[in-house]
Amino acid sequence: MEDRIVQFIAGLRAAGVRVSLAESQDAAQATLHIGITDRAMFKSALSATLIKEKKDVPIFEKLFPLYFSMGVPPLIPVGGQLTPEQQALLRAAMRALIGELSDLVQRLMAGKQLSREEMERLAKMIRSDRSNRPEDIPRLTRQMLQKMGMGDLMEQIETLLQQLAEMGMTREALDQIRQELESNAQNLERQVNQFLGQSLADRLTEQPPQKGEPDLMDRHFGSLSESEIKELRHEVARLAARLRSRIALRQKKGDGKIFDAKTTMRENIRHGGVPFEMHWKKKRLKPKFALICDMSESMRDVIEFMLRLMYELHDQVSRARSFGFYDHLEDVTDEFSSNRPDEAIIYVKRRFPYRPYGTDLGFCLADFFHTYMDAIDHRTTVIFLGDGRNNYNDPRLDLVQDLTRRARKVVWFNPESNYEWGSGDSDMLKYQPLVSTVHQVSNLRQLAEAVDKLFS
Amino acid sequence: MFKSTTDVIDCLGEQDYIATNEIGTVLFLAERLNKPVLAEGPAGVGKTELAKAWSAASGRELIRLQCYEGLDETKALYEWEYAKQMLYTQLLRDKLQTLLSDSQSLAQAADRLAAEEDVFFSQRFLLARPLLKAITSEKPVTLLIDEIDRTDAEFEAFLLEVLSDFQVSVPEIGTIKAKTQPLVLLTSNNTRELSEALKRRCVYLFIDYPTLEAELKIVRLKVPNLAPELAKQAVDLVQKLRRLDLKKNPSVSETIDWAKALVLLNAKTLDKETLENTLTILLKHEADVQRARTSMQREEQQQRRRPPDLDDGSFSGNIKPIKRI
Repeated sequence: MEDRIVQFIAGLRAAGVRVSLAESQDAAQATLHIGITDRAMFKSALSATLIKEKKDVPIFEKLFPLYFSMGVPPLIPVGGQLTPEQQALLRAAMRALIGELSDLVQRLMAGKQLSREEMERLAKMIRSDRSNRPEDIPRLTRQMLQKMGMGDLMEQIETLLQQLAEMGMTREALDQIRQELESNAQNLERQVNQFLGQSLADRLTEQPPQKGEPDLMDRHFGSLSESEIKELRHEVARLAARLRSRIALRQKKGDGKIFDAKTTMRENIRHGGVPFEMHWKKKRLKPKFALICDMSESMRDVIEFMLRLMYELHDQVSRARSFGFYDHLEDVTDEFSSNRPDEAIIYVKRRFPYRPYGTDLGFCLADFFHTYMDAIDHRTTVIFLGDGRNNYNDPRLDLVQDLTRRARKVVWFNPESNYEWGSGDSDMLKYQPLVSTVHQVSNLRQLAEAVDKLFS
Repeated sequence: MFKSTTDVIDCLGEQDYIATNEIGTVLFLAERLNKPVLAEGPAGVGKTELAKAWSAASGRELIRLQCYEGLDETKALYEWEYAKQMLYTQLLRDKLQTLLSDSQSLAQAADRLAAEEDVFFSQRFLLARPLLKAITSEKPVTLLIDEIDRTDAEFEAFLLEVLSDFQVSVPEIGTIKAKTQPLVLLTSNNTRELSEALKRRCVYLFIDYPTLEAELKIVRLKVPNLAPELAKQAVDLVQKLRRLDLKKNPSVSETIDWAKALVLLNAKTLDKETLENTLTILLKHEADVQRARTSMQREEQQQRRRPPDLDDGSFSGNIKPIKRI
């Protein structure tokens, strides 16, 4: 049994679950305390000691039955319950049909199990070692049984039973024989299933641990499916928590350099004015942001995640205003503050109906200068979220220059990859020298790092 | 010491806590293997309740450490009572004076004072916080460290140190070893990844929202005055709400609150009005309440639109049956 557990752990590791040596020892000890008689408890014990993360639970569920399958009842010879005359009838019928009954039926009648070599031979015939996924096992089982003649089984059973009926077998006896034959067939199928499961388990154990698929966080926004985007949305909260602790740590490290006389005196009144506790100045100015987002179709996912992150971090931000631009500029702060980000995006997009070759950042910047300059002061960081493509319109670099003078910092988040900047109608390379930094944000990880840098 | 998993489940049942087999197995193992339990799961599924029930079932006192962002060693382990020390110093000033009066030099006075140091840095002035209380307790205790995912990485590292050896070294007093091994339960809402080292140290338990039958059992146990039919309808509705994509799913505690509210309002059935009035007990976000309303309206419309069952053989539709000639 311990060997089996060790093999199971090797299989888990091969599937990407990180199981440490201490945990494998825990699992062995747990087995001693729990025992192996109750399968459910044994499974819980292994799960509690080996699986420490929610995302590993499906892998555990998939692999556990492969390594620790329940015993399959053996095949029994058919007709053991019949009277001697009936048994004699049965034998006579078998002899009569000897040419017609397949090997499989004879085997089922005799209750002969499949030996290991026979199963291995069949498995080789259907090349079962080509597949390494537990999901394929039902299909492979069917293939193996087909090779043994399972397709004709029903017909042949009927033929046999008819023969027996003609020879005068009673109704009950016939039913019993049919039942026993069917149960034997089922058990045979289960045996094959189990065999395939175990050989898969052995193969997995010998395999070296595979490199998993690239993490969702590293996948390009445009390549994600709807369900993957849903998953990422859940991740955003945890990402924000990580960012928040990083920001807090940074602030804590920056504290404590300048003596704060007022707070020290106030806090030491209870010590009679004797300065037992020293207090230092804490720098707690929260940043202000102005987001200017490109509202074209390709930017939807990036904007949604950016705004989600901003929302999650809103307690670290003094004030954030959002503007959407396409062929004109509009203030969209209210939309995003009152609705969920994915719904807000839909409402906002309605305010920017599609026009071919519509994007014109220069024109929108002029609009911005005209109407919304009050959003920018010396503490504000301006964030442009766009691909810098203007359909060959005037990029208005002078206005961007003006902006950099007024605001504390201007950064650009561009979801396109580096080598695409400047290609076609992209004015990115013209904007790049004017702004403080340009970050590439094609996947969530890059977006999170860029947001992190904003707070430093 | 519990004898088996079923023993654990039964004892928890006596404390009015309905435990699954998994919970029973993990708690049993944790005690036998002497490891802390890390219970993860969404908010409100009964992790803290589990700690209370477990401590009561094993006859131990419960010591609770509620974690939050910025929790540090002083608040968790121990603190010196400065104010008390200052007060004693002031009051004993005269005595101090007589003690040091016959010293010839400053160095001698300092030495004399150093000999009395133990008075001011002793157990008398040590304020024990939950962790130290758990370690120094004479009787066996259960230690609940609630919401550990709200602390930062520094605290986790410190906690790991304490949990490994169950001994604390106070520089002025010395090393304090635990006389009895406490049972430790850590809870987490999974808002951030816990450090690998901490996870390795613990036995892991994932508690999810209960199944329909389990939740029904819980409601029947905690709110016995609710009619069984109504209870079933209520639990059905809550299970359905959890399948919607809500900002915050209704937890088990909210289900129990709602059941109690239904009893108080003397509700006979779960009609629209009762639901409208009490939905805010279940759902705490306005957006979620709206979603639930729209989903229920949609369901109602579907119910109305669905054609009645046709088992009388008659045909209803646009195609007329062809007459056989």
